[in-house]
Amino acid sequence: MKTRMGIALLAMGGLILALYLTLYKMGMIGELTCTVGSCETVQLSKWATFLGLPVALWGVGAYLAVLGLALVGLQPAWLESRGISWLLVGLNTWNVAFSAWLTYLELFVIDAICMWCVISAVLMVIILGLSLMDLRAVRGLPLAPDHR
Amino acid sequence: MGAGRGRRNVVKAKKSASSMRSFYILLAAVAVVGIGAIIWQTQRPEGGTRWVENVEPGEAEGYLMGDPNAPVTIYEFADFECPACATWATVQKHDVVQRLVATGQANLRFFDFPLPMHQNTTQAHNAAACAADQDKFWEMHDAIFVGQPEWAGNSRPKRFFEGYARNIGLDVSAWESCYENGTHLPRILANKAEGDRRGVNSTPTFVIGRRLRPGVLPFDVIKAMVDSAAAEVTSSSAAATPSQ
Repeated sequence: MKTRMGIALLAMGGLILALYLTLYKMGMIGELTCTVGSCETVQLSKWATFLGLPVALWGVGAYLAVLGLALVGLQPAWLESRGISWLLVGLNTWNVAFSAWLTYLELFVIDAICMWCVISAVLMVIILGLSLMDLRAVRGLPLAPDHR
Repeated sequence: MGAGRGRRNVVKAKKSASSMRSFYILLAAVAVVGIGAIIWQTQRPEGGTRWVENVEPGEAEGYLMGDPNAPVTIYEFADFECPACATWATVQKHDVVQRLVATGQANLRFFDFPLPMHQNTTQAHNAAACAADQDKFWEMHDAIFVGQPEWAGNSRPKRFFEGYARNIGLDVSAWESCYENGTHLPRILANKAEGDRRGVNSTPTFVIGRRLRPGVLPFDVIKAMVDSAAAEVTSSSAAATPSQ
């Protein structure tokens, strides 16, 4: 239960961060606070858009999905659900892979690092680690008849 | 023994409910603090209004739009590679031009304020200054801001500026000669120095009358500043007129 709480809290943090970057991309925030790296260069590059939408907006969707799954998984009926744990691991594996690709682009293609993107990538890795711990814990429990 | 287990279960359930309550409070706190920080970021006036002396520009003239004899001048200090400046130029400026400049209530004077952290901004200001030679500064200004995502951070920005020069109908060879020779770099530096002299330290920054205010200012704020400056002009000219 504690791992899912941790996942939900980190996902909420990531959601706020992704929302901030999305609002900047939409021009609703004049200046990006960026004490380390070149956030503007990254955010203005063509790689900041994926399938016609800002990458940050995809981040909002990804964090929302993780937050939603974690909150559902905290409800008494789903507390021991292996399905939720597998979904969390699957979704977060995809999120980490996507973040790794973005970090690769920053380092080797755009030649600039965005502090917020790095923080998001670290959050994604921690969330995946917690998801794996959650799966391990749930797999150690006896199977409930309605959640196999 | 059964009663003991039951009591333990009750205690466990209570602990679990209490830990869930703490979790939801913490989650809500993270959400509230985060959303509050974002709202503050969108609303903050980026430095707030500061008062400056109403000094006329020295040798730096900027680039004028509108009636040179308009009662109020909106001085804009901007950097072509600054995303906030691009936002103002592509979103808010239109209303200011249509409702204040076109109606003669104010004119708009753009001053170059290239920030050192932007790698292509000086070239962009150079491109726009060279377009001004052919009376197409504002067309180039708009094209550069609209195209900012493609040339900002690019290692060869000139090809984009050259494309804009062609699209807005400039004599490209004359423009290119000016661009390559850096003919207007002294003018750009003079405009920047004017901003420094007035205490500008971020972009975009607007100076209207005696007020200096940084940020992506919406039309209503600009209008209020213009009205206030116009009122000051009226009252000072009334004071200067001898009563009969």
